[in-house]
Amino acid sequence: MTTAITNTPIIKASGIVKDYGSMRALHGVSLDIGAGEFVALVGPSGCGKTTLLKILAGFEDQTSGTLEIQGQDMQGVPAAKRPTRMVFQKLALFPHKTVSDNIGFPLKLQKVAKAEMDQRISAMLDLMHLKREYLTRYPAQLSGGEQQRVALARALISKPSVLLLDEPMSAPDAKLKKSLQAELKKLHRELGTSFVLVTHDLEEAMMLADRICVMRAGEVVQLGTPSDIYYRPANMFVAGFIGETNFLPVSVTRDGGGARVTSPLSGNDAAMIAGGQVSPFLGNDKTALLVRPETIRFVTGAAEPGEWVLSGTVEEYFIKGSSTQYRVRVPGLDKAVVMDLAGSLDLPAKVSDSVRIGFHPARSFLLSE
Amino acid sequence: MRTDSKSWRDPVLVATVAPLAIVMLAFFVIPLVMTAVLSFQTTQFYRLTWTWDLKVWTEVFSKPHYWTIMARTVAMALVCVVICLLIAFPAAYALATRLRAYNAQIQILIIFAFLTDAVLKTFGWILVLDKSGVANWLLAHLGLGPEALNLLFTPTGTMIGMVYGLVVYPLFTIYLSLARIDRDLVLAAYDSGASRLRAFFEVTLPLSRPGLYCGAVLVFVLSLGAFLEPKVLGGGTAPLASELIRQSFETRVNWPLGAALTLVLIAIGALSLALGAAVLMRGNSGRAAR
Repeated sequence: MTTAITNTPIIKASGIVKDYGSMRALHGVSLDIGAGEFVALVGPSGCGKTTLLKILAGFEDQTSGTLEIQGQDMQGVPAAKRPTRMVFQKLALFPHKTVSDNIGFPLKLQKVAKAEMDQRISAMLDLMHLKREYLTRYPAQLSGGEQQRVALARALISKPSVLLLDEPMSAPDAKLKKSLQAELKKLHRELGTSFVLVTHDLEEAMMLADRICVMRAGEVVQLGTPSDIYYRPANMFVAGFIGETNFLPVSVTRDGGGARVTSPLSGNDAAMIAGGQVSPFLGNDKTALLVRPETIRFVTGAAEPGEWVLSGTVEEYFIKGSSTQYRVRVPGLDKAVVMDLAGSLDLPAKVSDSVRIGFHPARSFLLSE
Repeated sequence: MRTDSKSWRDPVLVATVAPLAIVMLAFFVIPLVMTAVLSFQTTQFYRLTWTWDLKVWTEVFSKPHYWTIMARTVAMALVCVVICLLIAFPAAYALATRLRAYNAQIQILIIFAFLTDAVLKTFGWILVLDKSGVANWLLAHLGLGPEALNLLFTPTGTMIGMVYGLVVYPLFTIYLSLARIDRDLVLAAYDSGASRLRAFFEVTLPLSRPGLYCGAVLVFVLSLGAFLEPKVLGGGTAPLASELIRQSFETRVNWPLGAALTLVLIAIGALSLALGAAVLMRGNSGRAAR
């Protein structure tokens, strides 16, 4: 698993434990973040991602473990003295201050001269594509998207080494969300600041981040590049987190680095899975092949060499435009198999049709729960 | 929303507003008008005579005695406001920040403080402030000599009673506005580089202004009308406006004079509030747009 970073880490967190009373929120999390890197912390609610972000920001102290930022131990260093800036989930713009006073607040605290402050606020406005007439308005007078830009501007104006983002893009409007994501990625490229984004949306994390840290129940499940996470997920939790996918239970016999798998479902031959297609965290229980919806086809003639074929009935289909999704009920499987076919005018099958579906086990990924 | 000018023709609207309108008319507007009318009459041999005369008003404006009492009343009210806010703000801050988990219980306890009878609370202080009371007993035992305190029947005694009776109002209003402040705003101030003190003055204090203003207005208005405390704890040594008005009505049986003094007190209260509001509005004129 590629977890190495290309340059010297700006954040070195090792063995971070956080207890709230008797409840342990983080179980010894270690994470290095490189200078200029974009890392996303992903996981379901309650996985500890926000707690970790608060510890990085200095709003919470870890119970044990060490945190270094820019080579300096952060123990006892308050949020105000850290080279990090946070964009809050609900933005936390000061309602009683104008946009100009909100953006300029960190500079005011640093006692930056008025002329320089005005010039930097104006540069920030340009960077965030905010109109100049907004300066004298109050946050409540701006739209949601504009407020998000103001929050970003306030966080970035003092040129932090690390920008922490706590799900600030939870916009109700999908189109707005997409444009903000694109802008955030561009911003990261232009500024060269390290970004740490907390999100529960793995697709968003894949779009934006250089590396993704998938967390569950206070532990890091997998740390890797978006393609690692997608193509080589550590386990079913990570694989299932990114959209819909299929798990086909198989019996495994280890064979060198690779593995030989058989499915009790059909009369198909045992298949050989190469070492590169086996999760390094493979356990003995609940082993399964990860079969992506886009790798399954309807088999009308003879099966291809090495292809596994399953029989079932079409339960439902959805025309999504560029693709058509089929759900096929296969006897012996708990959940219907999901398959995405390239969209076409003619539908290959209708509801209740008996169909044969095929995929190549050798191109699938072997993992366990 | 119904904004057209013929809304008074809407029978439902009229029916829902009527009870309140009648009560306000009967027990607020009419008495006020009656008071105003009364102030233009005169008394002869303890009897009200129905004349239209400026005699009472001439007396009010020519006797500095009345104005001394009015000025003392306003001064006491202002001092009371300052002391109440100085006591209430730190207490409300502690309740809203350190004891946030007990929010519901705190609100109930504050409401209990409202429900306790003012007479009971005021007379209770006699036991404390009396020369042989608890306060002196304690100070004497601390070695400060007998009768270190002689507060009963002094303006200070009045003030203690007023502050004690009224401090719950700003405590409640400030507590409510502090409890409403999003904790993230304070964190955002820290994150921007603010010290705890700076974050307090930049974020917490400005955002608790509604509670401060509201509490100040309540204390001011209620202190102007303070009646029990100057009588029971002040002992009538330095009478305030309400005592002056009571004397005019009861002791001197000069109703027109009492009515005129009542109007003067109401006018002073209304003018002070208008002045205060104007000053505050100028301070944050830009915010009026919100």
